[in-house]
Formats: sequence, structure tokens, C-alpha cells
Amino acid sequence: MTALALSSSPRRRWRLPGTATGWFTGWFLVMWIGVVVLPLLIISAFSFFSMRQYQIVYDPTFATWTSLVETGRWVVVLRTIRFAVSVTFLEILVAFPFALWLAKGCRSAAVRAGVITLLTIPFFIDASSRIIVWRSILGTNGVVNNLLVGSGLIDKPLTWLLYSDFSVSFGMFGSYFPTAVFPIFLTLSLIDDDLIKASADLGASRLQTLRHVILPLAMPGIVGGIVFTFVPLMAAWIEPQLLGGGQVNLLGQSIQSALTNLNYPVAAALSTIVIAVLVLMLAALVVSLRGRFKMSSLFQSLDR
Amino acid sequence: MMPKPSRHTTTLATGPTAGRQARRRADAQKETRMPEATPQTLPPDAGSTALPPMLEVIEATHRYGDVVALDGVTVVARQGEFLTILGESGSGKTTLLRIISGLERPTAAKGVRIGGADVSELGASDRDCTTVFQHYALFPHMSVRENVEYGLKVRGVAAFERRKRAMEALELVRLAHTSERRIHQLSGGERQRVALARAFVTRPSILLLDEPLGALDEKLRLDMQEELIAIQRNLGITFVYITHSQEEALTMSDRVLLMKSGKIAQEGQPTELFDRPNSAFAARFMGVENILEGIIEKVALPYVTLSTGGHSITGQWCGKSTPRVGAKAVTGVRAERVRLSNVNEAPASANGFSCRRTASVYKGKYLDLTLDTEVGPIRSRLWDVDAAPAEPTFIHWSHDTCTVMDP
Repeated sequence: MTALALSSSPRRRWRLPGTATGWFTGWFLVMWIGVVVLPLLIISAFSFFSMRQYQIVYDPTFATWTSLVETGRWVVVLRTIRFAVSVTFLEILVAFPFALWLAKGCRSAAVRAGVITLLTIPFFIDASSRIIVWRSILGTNGVVNNLLVGSGLIDKPLTWLLYSDFSVSFGMFGSYFPTAVFPIFLTLSLIDDDLIKASADLGASRLQTLRHVILPLAMPGIVGGIVFTFVPLMAAWIEPQLLGGGQVNLLGQSIQSALTNLNYPVAAALSTIVIAVLVLMLAALVVSLRGRFKMSSLFQSLDR
Repeated sequence: MMPKPSRHTTTLATGPTAGRQARRRADAQKETRMPEATPQTLPPDAGSTALPPMLEVIEATHRYGDVVALDGVTVVARQGEFLTILGESGSGKTTLLRIISGLERPTAAKGVRIGGADVSELGASDRDCTTVFQHYALFPHMSVRENVEYGLKVRGVAAFERRKRAMEALELVRLAHTSERRIHQLSGGERQRVALARAFVTRPSILLLDEPLGALDEKLRLDMQEELIAIQRNLGITFVYITHSQEEALTMSDRVLLMKSGKIAQEGQPTELFDRPNSAFAARFMGVENILEGIIEKVALPYVTLSTGGHSITGQWCGKSTPRVGAKAVTGVRAERVRLSNVNEAPASANGFSCRRTASVYKGKYLDLTLDTEVGPIRSRLWDVDAAPAEPTFIHWSHDTCTVMDP
């Protein structure tokens, strides 16, 4: 690997990689820069141009960015981060005990296989059709309200159930629950049962075993769960579109509507913000787990 | 060795329900003492009947579904004893260990006591015994020292104190220099010793070892055997050692418990099991090469004469039952006890047969001969090849080295 030309040593001169690993690393980096970095830079660049009569004017200007601030669109950014963070937090809070039960508590292999299959099924159904169903369940004349009113628990239907922060969070939570569970389940099931037994045998209570053995060993899975939930949530637009009813505006929708209006600089600027937030969040995650966790061990057990 | 009476009174006084508190208090008493610091002197009353045995499992039975893994087994171990539970896989030895450690509750048992206190209702974390797992079960995300400190940490011992005690324990297994390493940087033998240090650093009354040398290569295994014995003598902790290797059992233990399909087949000191196996199973397990079946024709205790294929063989009775004429029995003799000669006559008080050599296998230190006789093929082992005839015509073995036992 060190044979790669882009080596850190300044004295070494550029030369071709000498090993297969070197070649693969080199090619991967070239492809990654071409397919990932370059488009991102181009998108960011577009946010500094402007539109006139549906034509892009290639004159560098801060007009798009200043208008974002002046029109108060930056509030959308904050709201999106708030949604993404709080839903991710809830996901992990629920997904961890669920995955722990699935990996270590559930004794029956058949039940475990069944639960995993059931969790996978939503991936086969189109997201919009999956989400729109909630309208008829959470709406003023929906199943929940009918049941509550019918049973005499409330007089008037609850209006905050649909087209609210609640319904959007709820829809997001359901959509990304499996992606939060799977990485955690994977690392938990790789933890050797003997380690848990050894911890108990050495005098640890269940809570101590959870804190000192299970949680640290499950960290790669938890970080994976956070990444796979937080990243798509930052760009989510189906849930706010269908369950927000115009009340809940998030970045994903703003980008979507800017694109349909052919307002490319605004779409580019908003995308740049999403990417910047993601990069900052990931950096914060890696820094806060420094020393305890390596990104490269994301998909492997710490056992090996 | 640590002063035992104080620990006993602690355990007894607190009773069965206050396990963890009892251990914490016991820890507080132990804190200043480490094994090598105090000389190995037994208090005058050690081992006397006034003290309860360190470990008592009374008539424990355990079933997994319909399978009876353990069938009314009773095990008692003294303070400071090295007890080995020997058996094949599936003999119930691991189940027995798990019942002692608290990782498994027996289906039925008249009692499980550690240091005289009833622990049958306590979980693994509240029992005054720790296990050295077969595959060590060291925590991969902790350093060597953190692993050893773990038992102290969960008991709330202060950081400075537990560091000191962990380092002392690591010193005892000669691994103090690896304290800041990660587990995966250690060799198999080093991991084994870390697991050992982690288990005894909390000074449990009993240390349970589940085939701890199984994963090591032969040279290392022999070294570790000696090291384990030394550590056990040094700590004075009761060791309950599980193994399928009769060699380990013979070398290391004060007492051996041979198990067969959930029951105790034979129990005794290593020499007893080696020289006087009580059944064909025990004899085979302890490596008796020549085993012949027959019918008892004469009983003159301690000697019993057996008839096999029309020939009589006399040996010492070792069976559990009372021998009677006409009952089935087996006789066994070790290959190294079979003498070769060219004189066709057995000495008095020996069994003799004429023979013909059919095969010899050179094993370096010794030579294994297979000899055809009237009672069937007999194996003989020669340690001194020059002193024996190259083509023997007669073999004999004395009545005293020959055993007759239950089939």
C-alpha cells in the first residue's frame, strides 16, 4: 500500500505502485474522485451562478447564498437537522434493545429468521405507497381517531396526528428503523456469548455487562446505524411531502421544488448545505469516538 | 496462601442471600494481601473436620430436554485441593462445571455449597468462584491490564488499588511486561495466563478451569501444566479442572474424578486410577493396553482368578462390586508390565503364556511389540530394547500388576 505514488513522504518521488494493493487503491481513488468528489465540486460551483430566463449565467455571484439567508430558507436547514438528529436518536434508542433481543435474547432461530424477514419486506415496497397509507390511518377520519372517538376516550378527533411534526417524524422513524437495526444486530450477533458469560462470572451485573462489554463491542454497529439513518434522513423528502401536508418544510423538498422550478443554483446551494452538514456530523462522530473505534472496522466484529 | 479461617467466617456469617456483599467485604479484607507476599503456612486447623469442604455438589441431576447430562453426581472438594474432572466429551463434565459456576441451574440437586454456604439460588455473578474459559473469553476491546482489572472494577475497587492488584496478578503469571498490550497481540499461551490472572485476581474461593490447555500445542501444554501447579500451590485456591486428557489429570491433580455418561465412573488419587482402574471403561480411559474378558472362576481376595478362552489369569480385584464365581469380569495389564523371556515357564505368582511376535513399532523412547498368544494379541512395551530377547517365546506378568475388575 505504501508503494502508492501519493505517499506521505515528501522526499519520495512519484512512481507507479508496485503491488496489487497499490494498483487497486490507486484506481479506487481515481474513480472515487471522478464519480463522487468531482460532481460535488460542480454542484457547489453551480450555487455561485445565477439563472436568467431559464438559462444559467456563468458569472460568479453570492446572490443565491444571500437570498437563502434573506428569505429565511436557512431555517429549513436547522429544521432538517433537528428532524434528522431527533429521529436518528430515537431510532438508535429503540433499535439497540430490539437488536439486542434479536441477537442475544431470542432463543428460537425460527423467530429470529422471521423477524429479520419481516424487517426486510418494507424494502420491496415503493416508499411513497408505503408512506401514503398512514394518511388514512392518522387522518381526522382515520382509523386511530375513529377508534379513539368511538371508544369515548376523546370528544373531537386529534388534529396533530397528521400533517404535523409528529406524523413526519413517525413516518421517518418507520422508514429507517430496519436500517438502524441491521448494523447493530450484525455486530451484536458477532459478540462471543462466552464474553457475556465471562463478564457475569467475574461478578458483573447485567447492567455492568451491558456497559463495559456489550456496548463497546457493539459500537461499530451503532455508528453504522447512525450513519445509515442520519444520512438518508438529511435528504428525506417523501415523508415530509406526504405526511407534512405543506406544514413541515425540509431540505429534501426544497431541493426537489427548486429542481422542478429549474432553479439550479438554489438546488445546488441547498445540496451543498446537506453535504456540508453530513461531512461535519461524520467528522464529529469519528472525533468523538477517537481511539475507541476505527471507521474501517464498521462492518467487522472487534473480536477478530 | 491467604488465611482461610477469616474467609470462612465471612462466608458463613453472611449466608446465602448476601453473596455479593459478602464478596465485597471479603475483598476488602484481602486487598492488602497478595499470594507471594504471605508465606505458605497452613493454620493448624486447616483441613480438619471443623471446616466445611470448600465445594459441595450433592446429588446433582441435569437434563437438556430428554437427555440426561448429569445423573445424581456428588462432588466434594477440600480447601486448596486440585480436583480434576476427567471424561470424554458428552460425559457431563462441562455441565457439572457450569452448575458449580452458576451459569446453569441443575434440574435437581440436594445442595450446591461453596465454603459451606448454600449458593444454589445465586447466579454466576454472585458466587465466590470464577471460570477460566476454554477459549479464554478475554475482552478484545480492553488491554491486558484492563482485562485483569475487570473483576475488581465491577466490584467498585478504586482505580489505583485495582491497577496495583492487577499488576501483581500479572507478575505472578510473568506477564507484567504485556500489561498495556491488546489481547490479539498475545500468543495462545500468554492469553491463557491472562485469563488465569483475570480469574484469580478477585481471590475467589474456587477457580474453575474448563479444558484450559486444550487449544495449546504440546510443548506449551507441558510448560503450562507445571505453571498451573505452581500457581495453584502459591494461591492455595481450590482448583476444579476439567479435561479429557488422562495425562493432564495424572500430572496435576490431588484427586481425579472420572466421568462416564453423566455419572462418576471412578474417583480417587491419580495413582489409584492409574494402577487400579475399577472397570473396563476406566481401564481403557487410563490407557491400559491389554484388556481381556472372561468369567470369574475363583475368588481369594485380594486376588481373583478369571477364565478367558480356557486359560486362567489371576490378578488383584479392583472392581466396585463384590466378586463372585461365575460373574463376568475383565482383566487388564499395562504393556510395560508384560515381561518377555525365552524360558517357557512363568515365575510363581505370575500369569504366563507362550507367544509369537507379530509386529513391532519403534517409538523412539520405547519399542511396542504385538505378540500373538493363546489368549489373543498382547501388547508389550520395551523401554530397554537391549535387555530383552529379540524374538521372545514366552511372556508373563505378575498377579500384583494385573487387575481384575467389573466389565
